[in-house]
Amino acid sequence: MPKDRLLFAKEGRACYISHLDLMRTFQRAFLRADIPIKHTEGFHPHPFISIALPLSLGFSSACEILEFGLLAGTPRREVPARLNAVLPEGVRVLECYEGTRPMRELQAIRFQIQVDFAGDVPGLCQAWGELLGRESWIVEKPSKKAKSGSVNVDIPTLVKEYSFTDLTENGVTLLATLSAQNPGLNPSVMVKALTDACPQFPPEFVRYRRLEIVDGDGNIFR
Amino acid sequence: MTKELEKILPLVQKPARYTGGEYRAVVKDKSQVDFRVAFCFPDSYEIGMSNLGMRILYGVMNGLPEVWCERVFAPWGDMEEQMRAHHIPLYGLESGDPIGTFDLIAFSVGYEMAYSNILNMLDLAGVPVRRADRNGSHPLVIAGGTCCYNPEPLSDFVDVFSLGEGEDVTVEMLQVCRRAKAEGWSREELLRVLAKVPGLYVPSLVDVTYNADGTIRAMTPADGVTLPVLKRIVSDLNTSYYPTQTIVPSTEIVHDRVMLEVFRGCIRGCRFCQAGYAYRPVRAKDPELLVQQGIAACKDSGYQEMTLSSLSTSDYRPLEALCDGLLDYCAPRDISLSLPSLRADNFSMGLMQRLQAGRKSGLTFAPEAGTQRLRDAINKNVTEEDLKQSCRTAFSGGWSSVKLYFMLGLPTETDEDVLGIADLAKKVLAWGREYGPHQRGGVRVTVSTACFVPKPHTAFQWEAQVDMDEYMRRVTLLRENMRERNITYNWHDPDTSFLEAVFSRGDRRLGAVIWEAWKNGAKFDAWSEYFDLQRWLDAFAACGLDPHFYANRERGREEIFPWEVTSTGVSRAFLAREREQAYRAVITPDCRKQCSGCGANQFCPGGVCDA
Repeated sequence: MPKDRLLFAKEGRACYISHLDLMRTFQRAFLRADIPIKHTEGFHPHPFISIALPLSLGFSSACEILEFGLLAGTPRREVPARLNAVLPEGVRVLECYEGTRPMRELQAIRFQIQVDFAGDVPGLCQAWGELLGRESWIVEKPSKKAKSGSVNVDIPTLVKEYSFTDLTENGVTLLATLSAQNPGLNPSVMVKALTDACPQFPPEFVRYRRLEIVDGDGNIFR
Repeated sequence: MTKELEKILPLVQKPARYTGGEYRAVVKDKSQVDFRVAFCFPDSYEIGMSNLGMRILYGVMNGLPEVWCERVFAPWGDMEEQMRAHHIPLYGLESGDPIGTFDLIAFSVGYEMAYSNILNMLDLAGVPVRRADRNGSHPLVIAGGTCCYNPEPLSDFVDVFSLGEGEDVTVEMLQVCRRAKAEGWSREELLRVLAKVPGLYVPSLVDVTYNADGTIRAMTPADGVTLPVLKRIVSDLNTSYYPTQTIVPSTEIVHDRVMLEVFRGCIRGCRFCQAGYAYRPVRAKDPELLVQQGIAACKDSGYQEMTLSSLSTSDYRPLEALCDGLLDYCAPRDISLSLPSLRADNFSMGLMQRLQAGRKSGLTFAPEAGTQRLRDAINKNVTEEDLKQSCRTAFSGGWSSVKLYFMLGLPTETDEDVLGIADLAKKVLAWGREYGPHQRGGVRVTVSTACFVPKPHTAFQWEAQVDMDEYMRRVTLLRENMRERNITYNWHDPDTSFLEAVFSRGDRRLGAVIWEAWKNGAKFDAWSEYFDLQRWLDAFAACGLDPHFYANRERGREEIFPWEVTSTGVSRAFLAREREQAYRAVITPDCRKQCSGCGANQFCPGGVCDA
């Protein structure tokens, strides 16, 4: 079981690299950097790389985690600089370290959700805040897995914390800590539910950024 | 990235195609360059980024410190819709700047069905589409690539055509353009000077008149301009630029691997093949250099796949040494090496065993015609015995599927030749059962047919294309006589072949048709999602032109051809002789056996080709 981890950021133009393409990009980057890594076993061995909690296309992130296995010969401290020299613009390795905590302890993700809305911004904050502050607010979300084609999501139970900041006449930033897995909540699902529920406050555009990953106690996960 | 772009990218499919920022994309400081080039490929990112020529010329142009060359691809329909709705003009992937403000817009044109995309891309850039509507304030529009061996159908839209291989002439052209910019020449002055650069054709400096029957009466160059314009070649591939450091796309493209070009030109002289004539003479690269470059390209890109590229790879003399050298590096690193364009007559077991380390996919052979008589007529010097040997090698080496490519509608083809395809496919199936690893079943043969398109600068440039009904009759005949369970038959849609035939040998009057079809929504005509034959037929009708005049008419012996403003170096007299030999089903030996005097030796020092 590989136990090396990379913490990396994905920003700017790189936000539009899909999860699968990013895995391929890292596989090639390790080869370009001449950093040998562990391969899968079996008939067609390929480099083992796993990126936790796939990031939606278009989101940026300061806290992505990639698991892999460093083969002998490359010190961990050299890895970030050597990879960064050969990665595409916007993908930046911040740290390479030995992973000790199981990934299941990664419980929640702090999101920065920038909402462009040139209208009644305080009204939007109040209406959205009211919905997020409820005990329970069940919305229907399309699902490919469910037989009925949709599943019910109780949004407030998956929102651990939220606050509004940087309120201007052109919009507001919503900081929200959302459940990461089992089940997780994608902030775009949350924003769509809020938008559908408050048609009088339609955002013009929304930007999503993962700021930090945390465990069940709200401590930073690595 | 602009805010506008950021807003539309989440709304389109595969947005990574529109962002740039890939590894090895060249980003320069705008203040340090004096000339901006938009290098456009009139098809999607996935197709354009797979083109080795694009990568070579991108490297060549960016090798000039004063020039910044950026890539531009045709946005897919969803992206185009968003760009138009949000008033985002077509931009260079590297800088994100609108290309309408650049100095030069260059197109690489390899396929007639991309013509509508050229117009659409100019329009998306906010640049007047017709050259008559442009002036010195607009970017100069140039085009190169195989289609430019008949530049005339595009001559309403393109200011300058570059003929042949672009490595050297592109640099010469850029130096002239930079001087013109620095010294403030008028567009007319610039065009007149460019017309004197060998390999560049300026359509505005040629006047065309027509006979009453629609054929060309004369093509008259302006004073000081000489016709035909002879293509350019790179005389020594060992010293010319090869991109060992090249862009690695962050999203999947069609040919996502190292492409190693082993030689240019072809010794074979297949009479239907434009590339075979147009890329003469044969020039090979040294195997030692290729091994070095292949290894360097793998290391720099991190690609785990490499393919050798040429018109006929098994004709490369030191092929086994090259493969050995590459495999010494590739095999221990799980890098797979593939060899397309193998011929059925010199396919070797030794070679295949070396490649077996990689994955075993299907094998493809292109006999092109079903009977020996017709194969002789087209000078595809492959015999049934050759094919049998190759299939035997393949099947006993463990391959279980073979693809066979043919053309229907070749000159002199009869129903007997069509049925010959079925016979051949059945024989291949029988050889598979005889020599294959599994005595029963397990063998698959896939037969594909395409409709023959007579191409300019070939021995068949005089020939009529069979009409679409006749092609479909032959398809049906073949299908009804090839019902075996283990044989799959795919045929190419004749509609696009028909238009290819029109535009590949068309004249400049077709500019009006392309304009009209584009106005009515034509784009991405190489894609069935977008192609609509009726739209093109309507455009012909609106312009009062008959497409059958171009596709289905046999040309007179002495007729002046629109593409004769250009020359590949291969003489018309040679092509006419080859056509006569085709009618007699007499083969012409390959260039190694005997020089056939085609004329391309004018490019070789001392007049001797190194075939």
